[in-house]
Amino acid sequence: MESDEDFMSVGSSPDDFLDTQGSDVESLGDDFGDEFDGGFSKDKDIIATKRKPYEVEFKVLSPEDIERQQNVQINEVSSILGLPPESSAILLRYGRWKREKLIESYMDHPEETLEEAGLGTNFEGTPQTEVVSGFMCEICCEDGDELETYAMRCGHRFCVDCYRHYLAQKIRGEGEAARIECPGTDCHMIVDSKSLGLLVTDDLKERYKALLMRTYVDDKDNLKWCPAPECVYAVDCPIKQRDLRRIVPTVQCDCKHYFCFGCTLNDHQPAPCTLVKMWLKKCEDDSETANWISANTKECPRCHSTIEKNGGCNHMTCRKCKHEFCWMCMGLWSEHGTSWYNCNRYEEKSGSEARTAQARSRESLERYLHYYNRYANHEQSAKLDKDLYLKTEKKMTSLQSQSGLSWIEVQFLDTASQALQQCRQTLKWTYAFAYYLARNNLTEIFEDNQKDLEMAVESLSEMFEKPVPELAQLKVDILDKTAYCNKRRVILLSDTAENLNNGEWSFNVDW
Amino acid sequence: MSLCINRLTEERKQWRRDHPFGFYARPHRNPQGALDLKRWECGIPGKAQTLWEGGLFKLDVTFPDEYPTKPPKCKFVPPLFHPNVYPSGTVCLSILNEEEAWKPAITIKQILLGIQDLLDDPNPESPAQAEAYNLFKKDRPAYERRVKQVVRENPAL
Repeated sequence: MESDEDFMSVGSSPDDFLDTQGSDVESLGDDFGDEFDGGFSKDKDIIATKRKPYEVEFKVLSPEDIERQQNVQINEVSSILGLPPESSAILLRYGRWKREKLIESYMDHPEETLEEAGLGTNFEGTPQTEVVSGFMCEICCEDGDELETYAMRCGHRFCVDCYRHYLAQKIRGEGEAARIECPGTDCHMIVDSKSLGLLVTDDLKERYKALLMRTYVDDKDNLKWCPAPECVYAVDCPIKQRDLRRIVPTVQCDCKHYFCFGCTLNDHQPAPCTLVKMWLKKCEDDSETANWISANTKECPRCHSTIEKNGGCNHMTCRKCKHEFCWMCMGLWSEHGTSWYNCNRYEEKSGSEARTAQARSRESLERYLHYYNRYANHEQSAKLDKDLYLKTEKKMTSLQSQSGLSWIEVQFLDTASQALQQCRQTLKWTYAFAYYLARNNLTEIFEDNQKDLEMAVESLSEMFEKPVPELAQLKVDILDKTAYCNKRRVILLSDTAENLNNGEWSFNVDW
Repeated sequence: MSLCINRLTEERKQWRRDHPFGFYARPHRNPQGALDLKRWECGIPGKAQTLWEGGLFKLDVTFPDEYPTKPPKCKFVPPLFHPNVYPSGTVCLSILNEEEAWKPAITIKQILLGIQDLLDDPNPESPAQAEAYNLFKKDRPAYERRVKQVVRENPAL
């Protein structure tokens, strides 16, 4: 019996993880193998190592797994309700795979449910293609004696050619699969997979199957496609939308891509999805440019041209209108008398108000820029590190010939490079996260963790860039530093995830 | 292509054998006198006991090469005052939309009857012109006066 409920209860009990501790992740893939049963009932199907506070339970599904999962549910409903499997499939798709609700609705009003789902209530006989004498196809108006025809249980009969043409148009032209209706006027019966199998070519059947799979994953809240280009896997994760305030559910697809199950963006731990969206929007917005202008420029009191003071004294002469004024008090230069280079009108009320407003604006901008610069720096460095990573393999080969180390032994560079990527990704998002954090005692600890990780990452990055001949001697140091970086990252993420989960952080924005 | 022509030939046969009272539908004849099966000139009468009674509205129906896989385009000439008719005269109706309720088995007769139903039963969910839609929503007496005027301008012979 597989259902969301079973899945949840197995997954959420920590005991299930204990007996599989220590088995490594690589061997898991093999475990899925043939005996995979479409659900989570076996302990070894679950990601086996003990979960850290920032990790979530998830499982990667191949297209075959997804198909099997669908079939298990279809067969189950089929045997409970005594309907043909192809009809049960239509029923399940109509009910968005919510089995319990569907069965209940069927038990209460079987006929309405079947009509609504586009099944009709007649399940007599098995439709076949046949030649019917005296028949004329309503679509092409052909009426030959040899004309092969087909009708689903609704009885709307058309020639096989027209039926085929219609299905091809729906599947290939419109990308429709789950809700293709009978071609008859006003008939809402859904074309089932069995009818489709009788009528269309194999490549269309493949396309149909792929489209159905797409709707299956889209319909289920616990499934998401991996967003990596060309990736065919989906991820199964029990985290709900409402959990996203407390959890940042990063998952890793079998294609190695790390992404957030909540928003399908790249891994953004420790920042929660909503803050990530706010941050990205803020960074994109021109409002920051406006903010900069308001903090760093003033307007000419006469012609209102925007002026940035780039040095020199307070005696301003507008380039455009030649107006002369004091940068400090914005008053006329000619009224300054002899106190030219020491504006004594500083204490005036209107002037001081204008200055506080400007100071506030400047302060908020500086705060943003502080976090943004660090965020952007890690993003940039991660890119540079990635370029370096591409050179790593070359390096490793040259290292082998120069130092006599075997390929296995130079794997440490690969490990180091991956650690750098991951730590920088985390660091980058700590800055976006910190921008929205309101100060309290916890933020001190957070900033210490951030600093430790950052220093470790920078020194690893430095070692990593050393010339190839030196790398062999640095092997032990690099290994140590890599391990240290990874450990610091785990500590930082565990700390933030635990506090997030317990609602300990306070933020300076509503979200 | 041949499917399209076959079907239209048959539609024409069916129509000549039997069609609803007050309607007309015939393929367009070009200046050289040849029939163009893919363009039909049709007339839809207003239904009895409705505001539209006594009117006859001229409709151009154009069939694409992909017909009957894809629906024909129906256009009132001149454009009609009606919430679901675009300013160009094109009719907005679910059965005429490929991605909505169009089915290859829908006949010309069914299309024309469907549009006749639409006249007195507009769908406020998909407005196509501002003028008729706004009057229909906000000032029903004025809307009805306009419809009566439109009927007078397009009398059934």
